[in-house]
Amino acid sequence: MTDNFRTGNSPNFQEGGLRGFFSKNSALAFIVAGSAWFIVGTLYGLFSAIHLMAPEFFNNIPALVFGRVRPSHVNTVLYGFVVTTLIGLGMYYTPALLKTKLWSEPLGWVSLFLWNITVLSGPVFFSMGMSQGREYTEYLWPFDVTFMIAIVTIIINLVMTIIHRKEYVLYVSIWYFVASFIWIGGSYFIGNVMWRPSTGALPGILDSIFLWFYAHALPGLLLTPLAIGAAYFIIPRVTKTPLFSHTLSIVGFWTLVTFYSHIGGHHLLQAPIPHWLKTMSVVDSMMMFIPVIIVIVNLWMTMRGRGNLIMADPAAKWVAMGLIWYLIVGAQGSIQSIPQIQKVTHFNNWTVAHAHIAVLGFSGFIALGGVWHVIPLITRRKLYSQRLANLQFGLVMIGLTGFFLVLTIAGLIQGEAWYNGETVYRVLPQLQPYMILRTIFGLFIISGALVGFYNLIRSIRKPKEYPYISASHAVIIETQKNPEI
Amino acid sequence: MKMTPKIFFGGSILVWAASISIMVIFPVISMKNKPSEIWRPMTEKEKEGLKVYVNNGCSYCHSMYIRKVDWGIGAERIARPGDYYGQEPAILGSERTGPDLSQEGGEHTDDWHKAHFINPRFTRPMSVMPSWEFLGEDEIEKLTAYIQSLGGKDADLRIARQKYWHKQAIEAYKAGPDSNIRWLHSKIPDGWRKMPNPYPATEASVSRGKNMYMKFCINCHGPVGDGNGRAAPYLNPPPLNFTLLRRHLEDDKYIGGILYYQIMNGITGTSMPYFKKDLESEKIWDISNFIAKEFIGYTDSDTEPKGIDASYESEKEKE
Ligand code: HEC
Ligand code: HEC
Ligand code: HEM
Ligand code: HEM
Repeated sequence: MTDNFRTGNSPNFQEGGLRGFFSKNSALAFIVAGSAWFIVGTLYGLFSAIHLMAPEFFNNIPALVFGRVRPSHVNTVLYGFVVTTLIGLGMYYTPALLKTKLWSEPLGWVSLFLWNITVLSGPVFFSMGMSQGREYTEYLWPFDVTFMIAIVTIIINLVMTIIHRKEYVLYVSIWYFVASFIWIGGSYFIGNVMWRPSTGALPGILDSIFLWFYAHALPGLLLTPLAIGAAYFIIPRVTKTPLFSHTLSIVGFWTLVTFYSHIGGHHLLQAPIPHWLKTMSVVDSMMMFIPVIIVIVNLWMTMRGRGNLIMADPAAKWVAMGLIWYLIVGAQGSIQSIPQIQKVTHFNNWTVAHAHIAVLGFSGFIALGGVWHVIPLITRRKLYSQRLANLQFGLVMIGLTGFFLVLTIAGLIQGEAWYNGETVYRVLPQLQPYMILRTIFGLFIISGALVGFYNLIRSIRKPKEYPYISASHAVIIETQKNPEI
Repeated sequence: MKMTPKIFFGGSILVWAASISIMVIFPVISMKNKPSEIWRPMTEKEKEGLKVYVNNGCSYCHSMYIRKVDWGIGAERIARPGDYYGQEPAILGSERTGPDLSQEGGEHTDDWHKAHFINPRFTRPMSVMPSWEFLGEDEIEKLTAYIQSLGGKDADLRIARQKYWHKQAIEAYKAGPDSNIRWLHSKIPDGWRKMPNPYPATEASVSRGKNMYMKFCINCHGPVGDGNGRAAPYLNPPPLNFTLLRRHLEDDKYIGGILYYQIMNGITGTSMPYFKKDLESEKIWDISNFIAKEFIGYTDSDTEPKGIDASYESEKEKE
């Protein structure tokens, strides 16, 4: 029983030579890769931000032109940082919750390799001016293939792990984690129009329906379930209480996939697509508040009365804050799906603000919290520095809050001015102060990425004499098991 | 409810598949796919231009559809599904850091686009669009061909108009600076020509005008108004030298209305854009005052014929 949380990662996770290393640790490798992509991705964000602030800063440098660095930024932070990290967490907690090991570590490494090749292909090929150009599906076709194989190998690994499980009950985190790959595998293939390799697109307006179906499957059926899965794993463990309600978990899970897969049309509310599609996505976007609030209530009630434990824990703090961002994102999302509101908020920085608090605030915060929660479990030693983890929290929190405020204001300025009949060009000078502030706040986030990476590496490579911590947390899995299951 | 592997896997796949059929498969079956009345096939060169557009991420800053609520460039045509017939990919875009381009074809001349692609600040001083000079002449040409095709048959009409007037503008320009200006003015409706600037060229008005000039005109007409801005080497005919206008007052008196009309309406066929959508009347009169005072060295502002003075005007300023 004390072995539950060692799964494949004994205290001597560093031992066994190179071959020994590859026979375990694929989860750890995902986490390290995620933290590294965090740095790379936000640096690309910085280049984009600098461009919008001072367009001749990198004048005429092909690899640093805005149209090429922006997709490098977006894809690298989404797939590279957030998703990679969250996969690492799941590859760790899934076997742990099933009291077994990951079915095949080498296969885990194969997935890791293919996944990171895909992510790397972004900055490499975009910077040379090779891209499929459709937002969120830019990777070139060969890397769509590596993406798909990575997903399929992960699914195989997880299914086999479930088959060989020693714990009968599938905890809610596992549903979310495993389901996200099933959903994204299918959605990626369809949304990327992978059967047309040269453009990755269909001819005509129909393509935008495929594209935005995928572009909302990405946050809704990949980022969200991955992040919720990790939150469901971490919160009860830190508060040392069982999950508040099993029924809520069930309802939340099924409503998520039901509603979230219908809302791609809310990106096209003013575009020439069929009316019924718009109506449907607006209605379901409203309904989306149900799964959001269910997750919040379920985890909040689990934490109730134990806020001190959350605040004292450098990891749980991230997760709790991530949930608050989720509430804000969900509320904002439902509101901005209303066509009358979108007249003003669409096409401008309002949406960019939403995207940052969603991807970094909600899923990114939970991913980072997960890192600081799981690393001690994998290494069996305390973090190198809790203070650095807290410092990172402060930096990213300041950066993101500033981002949110500044971009929302900029978005409203743009939206209102256009609505009044001013041209896009006329409004540009009014945006500049906000673009400068955005760059400054962005620097906080990047510093957070650097501090985090340092802390992570030091935690992993800590000297031997550093004391191992006990495996007492293993007990908690018993409490996560709800009696009524 | 117990979440057994069967329920879990079966349910997850089923619900997802149901959504796919409604949200993706059903549109495939039900959406009619017919060209709209402005649609026309793209030429090979335009298709290559589209590739350049896609590969370089123009779509992160430019949308490709006009909504009912829009005012700016292209707002004459609200997008229809058939406008995108056969285009692959038709990237609609999700942000307007720059203006919508779905009807961009024929808005400007080719030489305007060339200068603009080499450095957008040449023609649009406050632009945040990246410079694309590094793409090389060949790619910029393809890109221009693509951009000029946006709007289909409507764009073709606009292009034909541009070409028609371009020929005449070039001829006029070749005939020498003075006859060029005479030709330019001959195209202005009479009422506008015999019209002074109705608003006094106060210090405040001129300085507001200067501000606008810096933001909109300076890189074509130049810091001293002689037409030698940074864009000038790429433009044919080159931007007008305002200092020459002293010799071309209408009835030896009037220039305000001429300036206003040219700024508002642009000169189709040349790179001089219309500013009707960017600038409202207050700003255009202020710029006219600035150009008149600063570059022409003569102003007809607030002279006869004029109506009742606007209520804000103060007597003192008039001297
Ligand atoms: C950083 C965002 C950005 C990117 C990337 C970008 N543009 Fe622009 N674009 C703008 C802005 C802002 C304007 C408005 C100011 C101006 O005219 O330069 C503009 C204006 C334009 C115009 C002129 C519209 C008009 O009639 O006034 C064209 C044409 C254009 N862009 C084409 C392109 C093409 C083609 C690309 C890709 C090679 C591209 N843009 C990439 C921001 C961008
Ligand atoms: C892209 C370059 C460009 C920009 C920007 C531009 N112009 Fe021009 N402008 C021209 C060209 C070229 C001509 C003359 C063409 C010719 O000689 O046929 C012209 C002609 C004019 C004329 C005609 C004068 C007359 O007597 O007929 C006026 C007035 C004028 N510009 C004012 C402005 C003002 C004011 C702005 C800024 C708000 C501006 N222009 C911006 C290129 C430009
Ligand atoms: C890990 C943290 C981050 C995440 C997850 C993230 C995510 C995203 C996403 C999803 C978009 C696309 C927005 C949209 O299309 O609506 C975006 C755009 C952008 N991000 Fe980030 N970002 C992060 C950090 C940063 C940082 C640190 C900076 C600046 C220093 C930055 C600057 C930008 C810029 C400039 C854009 C383009 C906005 C535009 O086109 O107007 N981002 N980011
Ligand atoms: C939960 C309910 C949510 C709703 C109803 C919702 C709604 C919306 C809407 C309507 C838009 C389009 C805005 C526009 O273009 O005008 C949008 C954009 C976006 N959303 Fe959400 N959202 C929700 C949650 C999330 C979550 C959880 C994430 C990520 C984890 C997310 C990520 C994004 C991103 C990245 C965009 C920008 C897309 C683009 O490039 O234009 N959203 N959202």
